[in-house]
Amino acid sequence: MIKFTLQVRVKQSEGALVRILGVTRRRRFDLLHLTADTTEDGHFLDILMTVQADRAENTLVRQIEKLEDVSQVEVVEPGDAVSEHRAARFTAC
Amino acid sequence: MKGAEFLVKALEHEGVELIFGYPGGAIMPVYDALLDSKIRHILVRHEQAAALAADGYARATGKVGVCMATSGPGATNLVTGIANAYMDSVPMVAITGQVSTALMGTDAFQEVDIFGITMPVVKHSFLAKTATELPRIVHEAFRIARSGRPGPVLIDLPKDIANTVAAYEFHDDDTNEQIAEASAESITRAIALMRESSNPVVYAGGGIGMANALDEFRAFIATTRIPVVATLKGLGALATTHELALGMMGMHGTKTANHAVQTCDLLVCVGARFDDRATGRLNAFAPNAKVIHLDVDRAEVSKLRRADVPVIGNLRYALKALACKLPNIEPWRRECTTAKEMHTWDYDAPGTEVYAPSFLKSLSDRAGDDAIVACDVGQHQMWVAQHFHFNRPSQHLSSGGLGTMGFGLPAAIGAQLAFPSACVINVSGDGSIMMNLQELATLRRYDLPVKIVLFDNRALGMVRQWQELFHDKRYSEVDLSDNPDFCRVAESMGIPAFRVDDRAEVSSAIDRLLAESGPVLAHVLIHQEANVWPIVGPGRSNSEMLHQHEVAREVTR
Repeated sequence: MIKFTLQVRVKQSEGALVRILGVTRRRRFDLLHLTADTTEDGHFLDILMTVQADRAENTLVRQIEKLEDVSQVEVVEPGDAVSEHRAARFTAC
Repeated sequence: MKGAEFLVKALEHEGVELIFGYPGGAIMPVYDALLDSKIRHILVRHEQAAALAADGYARATGKVGVCMATSGPGATNLVTGIANAYMDSVPMVAITGQVSTALMGTDAFQEVDIFGITMPVVKHSFLAKTATELPRIVHEAFRIARSGRPGPVLIDLPKDIANTVAAYEFHDDDTNEQIAEASAESITRAIALMRESSNPVVYAGGGIGMANALDEFRAFIATTRIPVVATLKGLGALATTHELALGMMGMHGTKTANHAVQTCDLLVCVGARFDDRATGRLNAFAPNAKVIHLDVDRAEVSKLRRADVPVIGNLRYALKALACKLPNIEPWRRECTTAKEMHTWDYDAPGTEVYAPSFLKSLSDRAGDDAIVACDVGQHQMWVAQHFHFNRPSQHLSSGGLGTMGFGLPAAIGAQLAFPSACVINVSGDGSIMMNLQELATLRRYDLPVKIVLFDNRALGMVRQWQELFHDKRYSEVDLSDNPDFCRVAESMGIPAFRVDDRAEVSSAIDRLLAESGPVLAHVLIHQEANVWPIVGPGRSNSEMLHQHEVAREVTR
């Protein structure tokens, strides 16, 4: 089981967050933490999410990066950013 | 101008000639606008058939297929067809009516969250919020549907937006984006691996046809002389009669193809995705092979099998760049082609009943080099893949990823409308045909000369076969001996039909089928216990193929 944190920037569009969470669930990654904020200009949503899975990071990264409205996906080291964010804990999404 | 007119005008601008659909409350403004358009609308009798016909049209032409339905049940009925297109990477735009924006989220009549429902099975989706953005949405939808790895795109259009009057703004900014070329480094590494290899195999997938890379692929094979195995969707990338075409790999693949893959030292995967039906038990698949994986979708590379050399990007470019002479593979090539000659199909079956593989072989020999075959799903689908000749993948319309029973007849309708003078054949089974039987009425309405070959074993044959082989002959819900009289059903919908129940009649039946100028159905009775051979059992390696004579021996033992 590996655990890692992803930072995703997605265009603010209908269902943007649900789309990313849907891919995460369908590809069998469990969501542990999530924060999402609209950028100052209102055009994008910045998402920070920690997930765990038996599958390699890239399996999820590559599925998310090919979504039409996603402009950036980056793996952040575990514990690197999430602890500062007091993220809500989700058992399911 | 109204939003609905924006939509239709934008579709015209994208070059849409045909829309497959079914009207209803929320989509009525669009149907009104269609009356003044040159776009031809094909009225199917169930929305699922609209999506599947659009899919068949897209597979046969390479163009974007368009389907349309109203909100609620109309939209949910499209879902199977959208998922079918998604799994097989078929370019499609699906347009759904939606209740008015003020009613959305109130459980209004025929309201369903089709945007949410389809999210897992679309490449992208749009909810139109203003009329003026519709031309941009349509343009984007078509661009996304056909770019890179193609797929379906949904446009959900609320009724009030369709009725909003605004000034039309034309959108034609970005043309098709260029697909990036594979890196020079990956090409160099791939060529090095190919030169080191003494027994390479090319694993050809549906991506070759979808990338319009047939010429480049064939030139690549002509230069390298690497033997080729194909996935279901890759059949025809190299003509199936080509000396280096070893046939289909996987669960119902040829002995030659599976053996070549299992013993090769290098697998060059071109536009395929290591699907479980192709690989068998994954950890035993091509155990000694290094892998070069060519694909436009980076997410497919190393998803299931690690690629030693990923070659990401435009297939046409990569295949051109990788074409090099490989003189030291000659002994291996001879071994493969000799094995192919030794393991040809045996069309002698005992009994007097029609033997489906033999029927299909004869039909293929006589239907001409350009016949298009649309299959349903099950035993007959595998027999088509095994015994029909294909000169290009777009002749073989088969639901690969989703395995959608009921795909064949609507797909044949889509293909026949695209190519009115082509010989389009729907090969179906008595289980599958019942899933979209109502489309016989569509054949009649548009007088489409589709030839239907309906193999009838009075059973859900593939499930029956699995229960026989892998569930101790415990038959559960596979008996269809109370099927309707298919000839009378067809005739009641204005389709001439005839029955074939003896192999002595096969030749004249094929004559009659091919001579008919309009639609026709041949109801072909086959043995109830006919199986598809060979087969790799569930969870087994492709090295462990079961052949008919081996199973018979085990039973008598």
